[in-house]
Amino acid sequence: MFRYIVRRLLQMVLTFFGATFMLFALVFANQKDPIQALVGERPVSESQRIALTERYHLDEGFFMQYWYYMKGLFTGDFGTSMTGRKNWEMMADAWPVTLRLALIAIVIAATFSVTMGVYSALKRGGVFDNVSLFITLVLLAMPIVVIAPLFQLIFGIELGWFPPTATRDATVWQLLLPAIVLACIVIAPEMRVTRTAVVENLRADYVRTARAKGLTRTRVIWVHVLRNSLIPVVTLIGVDLGGLMAGAIVTEHVFNIPGVGFNLARAIKTEDGPLVVGFVSILVILFLFINLLVDLLYAALDPRIRYE
Amino acid sequence: MPGKAPWKMAAGATAIALLAAGCGGGGSEDSAATSNTVVIGIGEPQHLIPTNATESNGSEVLSSLFYPLVDFDAENKPVVVAAESITPDSKNTVWTVKLKPGFTFSNGEPVTSENYINAWNYGAYGPNGQGASYFFEKIKGYADLQSKDPDGEEGPKKAPDPKAKTLEGLKKVDDATFTITLSAPFAGWESVMGYTAFYPLPKAAWKSEGVIAEGFEDAIIGNGPFKIKGKWEHDSQIVVEKVADFKGEAPKVDGVTWKIYQDQQAEYADLVAGNVDVQTQIPIESLGKASADLGDRFKKSPNSTFQFVGFPTFQKEYQDVRVRKAISMAINRQEITDQIFLGSQSPATSFVSPVVAGYRPDTCGANCVYNPSEAKKLYTEANGPKEIKITYNVDGNHKAWVDATCNQIKAALGINCVGGEEPKFADLLSKVEKKQPVGLIRLGWIMDYPLMENYLGPLYSTDGSSNYYGYSNPTFDNLVKEGSAAATEDEAIKKWQAAEDILAQEMPVIPLRNGQNVYGYSTKVNNVTVDLFQKVNLYKIEVVG
Amino acid sequence: MSDLNTVTTAEAPGGQPNVPRSPVKKDKPRSLAGDAWADLRKRKIFWVSVVMVAIVLVMAAWPTLFTTADPGACALSNQYKGPTGAALFGFDYQGCDIYAKVIHGARNSIVVGVLSTALAGVIGLFFGLAAGYFGGWLDAFLSRFVDIMLGVPFLLAGIVLSNRLSSDPKSDGIFAVTLTLGLLSWTSGARVMRSAVISAKNQDYVAAARMLGSKPSRLIFRHIVPNSIASYVVLLTLLLGINIASEATLSFLGVGLKNNAISWGIMISEGTQFARTEPWPLVWPALFLGVTVLAFIMLGDAVRDAFDPKLR
Repeated sequence: MFRYIVRRLLQMVLTFFGATFMLFALVFANQKDPIQALVGERPVSESQRIALTERYHLDEGFFMQYWYYMKGLFTGDFGTSMTGRKNWEMMADAWPVTLRLALIAIVIAATFSVTMGVYSALKRGGVFDNVSLFITLVLLAMPIVVIAPLFQLIFGIELGWFPPTATRDATVWQLLLPAIVLACIVIAPEMRVTRTAVVENLRADYVRTARAKGLTRTRVIWVHVLRNSLIPVVTLIGVDLGGLMAGAIVTEHVFNIPGVGFNLARAIKTEDGPLVVGFVSILVILFLFINLLVDLLYAALDPRIRYE
Repeated sequence: MPGKAPWKMAAGATAIALLAAGCGGGGSEDSAATSNTVVIGIGEPQHLIPTNATESNGSEVLSSLFYPLVDFDAENKPVVVAAESITPDSKNTVWTVKLKPGFTFSNGEPVTSENYINAWNYGAYGPNGQGASYFFEKIKGYADLQSKDPDGEEGPKKAPDPKAKTLEGLKKVDDATFTITLSAPFAGWESVMGYTAFYPLPKAAWKSEGVIAEGFEDAIIGNGPFKIKGKWEHDSQIVVEKVADFKGEAPKVDGVTWKIYQDQQAEYADLVAGNVDVQTQIPIESLGKASADLGDRFKKSPNSTFQFVGFPTFQKEYQDVRVRKAISMAINRQEITDQIFLGSQSPATSFVSPVVAGYRPDTCGANCVYNPSEAKKLYTEANGPKEIKITYNVDGNHKAWVDATCNQIKAALGINCVGGEEPKFADLLSKVEKKQPVGLIRLGWIMDYPLMENYLGPLYSTDGSSNYYGYSNPTFDNLVKEGSAAATEDEAIKKWQAAEDILAQEMPVIPLRNGQNVYGYSTKVNNVTVDLFQKVNLYKIEVVG
Repeated sequence: MSDLNTVTTAEAPGGQPNVPRSPVKKDKPRSLAGDAWADLRKRKIFWVSVVMVAIVLVMAAWPTLFTTADPGACALSNQYKGPTGAALFGFDYQGCDIYAKVIHGARNSIVVGVLSTALAGVIGLFFGLAAGYFGGWLDAFLSRFVDIMLGVPFLLAGIVLSNRLSSDPKSDGIFAVTLTLGLLSWTSGARVMRSAVISAKNQDYVAAARMLGSKPSRLIFRHIVPNSIASYVVLLTLLLGINIASEATLSFLGVGLKNNAISWGIMISEGTQFARTEPWPLVWPALFLGVTVLAFIMLGDAVRDAFDPKLR
């Protein structure tokens, strides 16, 4: 186990470099005129263009730009954004609020989808199963660009149940509505997968054995069946963070949260290479950790899986 | 290996992750709503160094921190504010500025003529890359502060340092007086100095000569009625509080929180919920309910925005002036401003905004009047293209009106019309530079200073900075220049109007709409006005009760 | 778990004559597909979803069967007018006939949704199988690649791909959107497949088959895939819905369909803007999208249930 974790951590270092390189290439491929992108519709004077081109090494080739970036990284310098702020500072500002938002969303999504998925599976074909299927599908069929403003409108403005916007140091209460919006995009898949897995496991031999041994139905379902059904669900929750981050671009925009999604969208728009790479590299590291966690959970959920 | 171990490790790791995320939050203390302060919504400013602040968010925040040399009265004529007097010589070339005595920066430094000269030199010096440096273009010696890349932008050679570091045309007379020498006579210079770029900077701004101290921008010090409390909290807010012994006109509120929004609809939601007191631009999506939500706290006032489409001169199919006129006549401007913009903009029938002196309504004449039958006739005569395209940037909310305009053109001319979508304005420009067939280009202009010349020069002159479509007419260029050099403003306006008449003949662009401020405020505030530059008047606004 | 011996195909291990063949029942040798079909025919939900999917597909293929109106003929003078004879659903913000637009929008939405999901399904299947079955360094490499892919923001990849792919100004961007969605949405499937394979590979029957000398390809496609594909199929049907909806997000970000292409996604995102005052332009396309996704998911569920030997 220990060796396995060490190996994974070593892989992470390599992956990190692979990721920054790939991202840099993507951003570079997309870079047309970051100076114009920065000023929007204003005209750019020639001397301003020369000054900015030199400051951000924009006239140099891809490998040189990558080199400058990596050189900075090794000295602990994440570079300077095209907006003139330090990338490190911007990331430190943006990450905490997004992490909290994503965490709340994951907790909401996991709680709902697992309980509803198990219940649907037990009452397969019943009213609850069909109604919950329909509701989750309606949510699924709604793009996030619809759900986010609609929820803000209905629950934030018309009904006034939640605050319509949040800030950088928002409380859990302020983040609840955007978190529900984010959870909506992942609830349907998670719930369907839970339901499918539980349905399958309900027919497994061990369930019959356990019941025959005289265990209560509740115990069999919530301990034995659920544990065996969680592998695909846990996997999905792990990767759903990706969906959440993509959703965060829209959600943070709508709810005015100055987090990662918002910063990333702005950085992409202004062709701000170092900033995009900075944010996404951290994102990739996050995924690496989460997926390590998920892989460890596999072994926990299914004792037959061994890592060495 | 014990079977239970992975459980514990996973649980432990999850707990750490949860803790780490939870700790990030920290105490969220609501900015204690001290009674006499207001919250005004803005977007994140790009910069707060005055010579680099070219967009409205930055200049709005700066207007609370600085006291300008000149401001504009109800007729948009310049009036001195921080200056005692501004006097030109007989040829309008040398301007003498005398400062009012006794003013200080909020850190206690006295305001002297050097503060102005140093700030402007910094702004004009090419290698500093300041966005508003073009404002100093008219001052003598500006060219010596610019560097030219000897082998073009792509070339490997670095641009040499400019010849000079300071503007030849700026001369200190004494601590309260300085002179500005222009490279050519310009009667409207006083108006130009009303812009954000002409604010002074204190000694505290400089690390060494010509280098701004690190961190100064985030806690900028000005000579205005308010000072920054703490620091610029990026993407979140900028809190300013009253300067105790301010010598100029005192505002009625004790402080302003500039709350930063990424999205106007989110800002509107907060306006209705009472979390923000003033929104200077209510988005179209919310206008339908604005009267119901806000009642008489929903207001309109003119601003200088001018929306139009340009015909790229490199596309041969639009060379015939009859084609351009026909397309213009096929557009029902009133219907679009009423139904797409819900009355938040008004039809444009001239080539400059109604807010500048010298504006005449309907200079575009019959060309800007909706007349589908005449349009069709003219278009068929000229044998115009079977399909036209209006290219726009999708990040600026232009799709709705472009689609509507296209539908009108389709119906009137019986041709196909499509909207060409580009992710952002820079993408559009790069296509224009490569002379790709973009069709009509969506453009807009917000004035820098209230003069006709600020529309005619940048938009339609051969070397105009925003003349992306390549219109060029030497007679027009000369008239604009003659106007700028005229001895009096009336003479200048005559020349400029003659120039505008040429545009009406040639229709290089189609004027579409003039913008308005559609703003709203909460029940907490009163006396809210929004000026031509989309700024809230901070000296008038007050807190109710 | 009796299917070990019932599956017999042409590629049966010829070199291993000692593999025990099942004592085929005398009366009727039935294949897996034959069994599934017999099972499906009896399900009501299967037929309902088949009819619904068929209607949508016909709508996508021959929209003019449903409406003769030109969806591009819009006039502001019709803005938000209620339903009239031909325009069953009334008119939208631009004064377009909502019914005609919904019918004509089906094609782009379905094409983008189905093709991108198919692409994602294939990529995800192979990544998941390879990583899960072979394990070791291959798994490490593929899994870390998936991690990187997960991190790449949708917006960035969308912009890059659509810029690279649709340089033709006349293109409607369908190819670019399909490829973008397909290339970005396979990752969750790959991970689910991988985990299903890992857990299936440790099952006794797989070990048994391996000991009996099955080749890896047979092991994978005859034993592991059928036993681990259930969650994957469910995920793919959901992905179809997500991808149809995501097309709207891409359009919203300015890298979606171009040149006045109509799709449900675009209609929905446009309808959302003014939903507070005029809800119908949002409701109709959303309803069609919802029902279509529902039909595909029900179909997927039914087919999966029928094919899954464990559920018989």
